[in-house]
Amino acid sequence: MAGVVTFAVTSVSKAYGATTALSSVSLDLRPGEIVGLIGTNGAGKSTLIKILSGATAPSSGTLSFDGRPVTFGGPLDAQAAGVQTVHQNIDDGVVFGATVADNLTLDTLAGGGWFRTRARVRTAAAAVAPGLGLPLDAPVESLPASARQQIVIARALARRARLLILDEPTSTLSEVEAGALAARVREAAATGVSVLYVSHRLSEIEALCDRVLVLRDGELVAAFAAPLDRAAIVAAMLGPAADLGPTRTGLPAEPGQEVLVADGVRAVRGGRAFGFQVRAGEVLGVTGLVGAGKTELLEQLGGARPLVSGSLSLGGVPYEPKDPHDAIAAGVALAPEERAAQSIVPGWSVRAHVTLPWLRRHGRSGLLARRSEHAAARRVIELFGVRGPGPEAPIESLSGGNQQKVVVGRWLAGDLRLLVLDEPFRGVDVAARADISGVVRERARRTAVVVASSDPQELHGLADRVLVLHEGDLAGELPIADATPERLTALMSGTPGSGTPGSGAPGSGIPGSGATERGGAR
Amino acid sequence: MTGIASGVGAAASARRRAASRAAALAYRYGLLGVLAVMLVLFSLLRPAFATYPNALVVLQSVAVVGIVALGVTVSMTTGGFDLSAGACVGTVVMVTALTMVRFNLTGGTAIVAGLLTGLVVAGVNVLLTVVAKVPDLVATLGTLFLFQGLALIVTGGQSVAPGMTVDGAPAPGRFTEGFVWLGSGTIVSVPVPVVVFALLAAAVYVLLNHTRWGRALYAIGGNAEAARLAGIRVARYRALAYAVSGVCAAVAGILLTARLGRGDVGAGDPYLLQSVAAALIGFAVLGANRPNALGTVVGALFIGVAINGLTMLNAPYYAQTFVQGALLVGALVTSYTLRRIR
Repeated sequence: MAGVVTFAVTSVSKAYGATTALSSVSLDLRPGEIVGLIGTNGAGKSTLIKILSGATAPSSGTLSFDGRPVTFGGPLDAQAAGVQTVHQNIDDGVVFGATVADNLTLDTLAGGGWFRTRARVRTAAAAVAPGLGLPLDAPVESLPASARQQIVIARALARRARLLILDEPTSTLSEVEAGALAARVREAAATGVSVLYVSHRLSEIEALCDRVLVLRDGELVAAFAAPLDRAAIVAAMLGPAADLGPTRTGLPAEPGQEVLVADGVRAVRGGRAFGFQVRAGEVLGVTGLVGAGKTELLEQLGGARPLVSGSLSLGGVPYEPKDPHDAIAAGVALAPEERAAQSIVPGWSVRAHVTLPWLRRHGRSGLLARRSEHAAARRVIELFGVRGPGPEAPIESLSGGNQQKVVVGRWLAGDLRLLVLDEPFRGVDVAARADISGVVRERARRTAVVVASSDPQELHGLADRVLVLHEGDLAGELPIADATPERLTALMSGTPGSGTPGSGAPGSGIPGSGATERGGAR
Repeated sequence: MTGIASGVGAAASARRRAASRAAALAYRYGLLGVLAVMLVLFSLLRPAFATYPNALVVLQSVAVVGIVALGVTVSMTTGGFDLSAGACVGTVVMVTALTMVRFNLTGGTAIVAGLLTGLVVAGVNVLLTVVAKVPDLVATLGTLFLFQGLALIVTGGQSVAPGMTVDGAPAPGRFTEGFVWLGSGTIVSVPVPVVVFALLAAAVYVLLNHTRWGRALYAIGGNAEAARLAGIRVARYRALAYAVSGVCAAVAGILLTARLGRGDVGAGDPYLLQSVAAALIGFAVLGANRPNALGTVVGALFIGVAINGLTMLNAPYYAQTFVQGALLVGALVTSYTLRRIR
């Protein structure tokens, strides 16, 4: 084996009961190397990370560090050995209600004298993260997700990291923030730390990684070295006979009547008022950086938060939902952004999740009819191709992408006028994305749809028009054909002057020409 | 070397698997198993234990606490906690007794007054938790003191019994016959409180497991935000949970008054801790790990059987509280610890 190997994994397998999550995976990581790990949901990425970080023990196979075999009894063993893991859910790594400095010094909390004076904590914090550039005295919950992540990463690196594992580090970050993160990862690698970088975003992997390992169905199916070929990676990920992504099936039907008209609304308090409308048979995309107000706007449409200003009308009738209950009664469904916090009831079956918004329909005079519920769950499973153990299994036993299909799909069971989806593709692999996208597209023939995503790439192939938000203001509205990466980036970053307005396709009135743009962008 | 190591590893992992299977079994059936063992043991040691009359005695003894526990269970489903249930029982006892003894009204009126009192307590709980957003545990602790105190104030700190002296003259009223029947009567040899307990248990079971209201209550307890975004009106259901709890406590209070034949100061006090214990023991029944009607019934029976059996074995009465505590701790370990080992 050429070169120094920091960390080696040799034919590691992991089985959960009868399911094999990993089978005979071998890989090695060298100092200063950034290795990408990619695979669809359920490919075994999480299991591999859990094994590397000591959260679970492999069923067979060995791990070795600097040539010596190691066994991790738990995450603390792995940390002591120098394996630092930054998990996808950033807020698991910070303590709310404490300051930035407190959070940075969490690991040394046990030592360092009896009294934690503010000055001492600040000094310690500065030592943990020199040049972090965050307000040390600010409460951590007042910071955006990207800054909280910086804290977690700084702490991980300060623990004498030899191997840094980043699990979907950009899933809650905007493009600009992701760029800053990439710079920090390169810095860390330059000091000799090995980095294992797990992401769904091909562009990041492409830009950042020296090597890419592809997992599929628990096996390491391919390894690529830079320069990376995106199409080959996707092909390896999806396996034989899989599509490269969602394709727009023809033009949308003639845009119908206006379903939702928003007048004088604001995404956030203090933003500029704007108006927009969504027609039947149309998918309206909403994009913007993290913090642009997408979620705030969508939650107002779904009745989940009070309207800041202005008025909404639905099918020509004033629409003033006090709560999501009112919105659903009016035919508006909101699939919220945070799956775990806002959609999943722990321990509940797929069936119970599917029918929760529609309990009134499943039974008479309050009594629930299990059979009708079961059938509804089956329909969602078939419509979306949900892979998993069936309607009665707890939803947690499904992979992330399949959970997402359930919590988005349940809304399609209703008779809707407007479907509002907030980041429906977050943490979802390409195949699941194509499944969801296809069904939503199909449904949009009858229903108006609003989809928010901080990754405009995701809106191509799904949306007909795109609203771009910037710091709570409407920065622009583009037909998908005109939504070139340059123009979107300009609008999203709030510098419309620097965009190249002429770059839109000449036939901008025809949404279908967006397909050409997309082809060009890939 | 490697062979030995892997052999040891395999043995260890087989042991671990066996241990986790045992934990899984204990998690689901442990409590029912202990209950069965207790029944067999008491029957063998004291033949009088396993008789129909004694079964009725046990059921009679757990009926009132069981009814309170059913209400507490419902209050727990949304993630709330009704600590005021015992005080509510006490207040209802006072109100029903006063209605008949002091104001010389009918038993029917007393029952209505008792139920309304339960709803008033629930209303205060709802005001505090849902409207004023005080955390459930401390809000209902406040209500507990409020109504315990109120019951003392309206009776001047005295017990209410027929013939008691009010303003220098004997009180005009008495307990009506029909009302007394609620406490001491029987329906086909089964005491009325037991029948009421059984009916309420069935009703709460159906409510929680087979109706959309029950589904909504559990959804709120599981993830209130997810429930809200799925269109469930969280505030209403939390209010409903406290209302059910209040009504259950009121029913228990009415039955207790009827059985005691008087309104004792502090009659409701022991019922809070016992009912909470029954509901918590219920978490461990069949691995539910959440408040559930069946579990609560088993929990109440569990306490009743243990105390009845130990009493027959001449265990001193002052050991009862300790036994209840041991049962509760065992059940808590079952539902919280074994779940993880599994």
